[in-house]
Amino acid sequence: MKVELFYTPGCARCAAAHDGLKTTAEQTIDGLVWRELNILEEIDYAVGLGVLTVPAIAIDGELVFSALPTTHQLRAELMRRIVKEA
Amino acid sequence: MSTLTIGKLAMLADVSTDTLRYYEREGLIAPSSKSAGGYRLYDENAARRVRFIKQAQHCGFTLAEIRDLLAVRARDSACCGDVRKIAMEKKLQLENKIRLMKTMSQVLDRLITDCIEETHPVDECPILTALEHANGTNPHHES
Repeated sequence: MKVELFYTPGCARCAAAHDGLKTTAEQTIDGLVWRELNILEEIDYAVGLGVLTVPAIAIDGELVFSALPTTHQLRAELMRRIVKEA
Repeated sequence: MSTLTIGKLAMLADVSTDTLRYYEREGLIAPSSKSAGGYRLYDENAARRVRFIKQAQHCGFTLAEIRDLLAVRARDSACCGDVRKIAMEKKLQLENKIRLMKTMSQVLDRLITDCIEETHPVDECPILTALEHANGTNPHHES
């Protein structure tokens, strides 16, 4: 599973939340692909996914969170996808 | 500090008095006081504020977004990053709109290409037919 976090450089709130979310995702998913994307460098890709606010999180190429989720919300979403895929 | 009537402010900021009243209804500006006769009076900063609003509108910001920008500007704890975030999200909206418009333009290209027979009667016009049946698919491309 691939989790992509779109952020704007200089966003202190994003930076503070990244580590916790990444750790949660790594603990939930085996073989996780975690990417942190500077939206200024990936704007075409972000727009293609429908990102209109930052920070935002896409999972497997689908925009899922248009604001930073809590670690609990991220874990719940990842678990839901694991069950769906099984 | 000197005060301005609504007429003088309108002239200084190059907008109409109706625009200033509209901005006031939208919570973007407010008179600093009222004259004895009940007329609105504005301080010297009002012209700068109105020019800021106009400039932001030209950049594609809605009045609600401009209200947010003005609130950020007035907040002591605000930093440049707060404005940058608003600007970034505006850019995302614009890029999204550009993408949609490009897609629309490509659809029109296809319709224009389909309509090669200029002498056909209007009721056989493929463009009008396609628009009539527009539900995400072009009937001429269904097979």
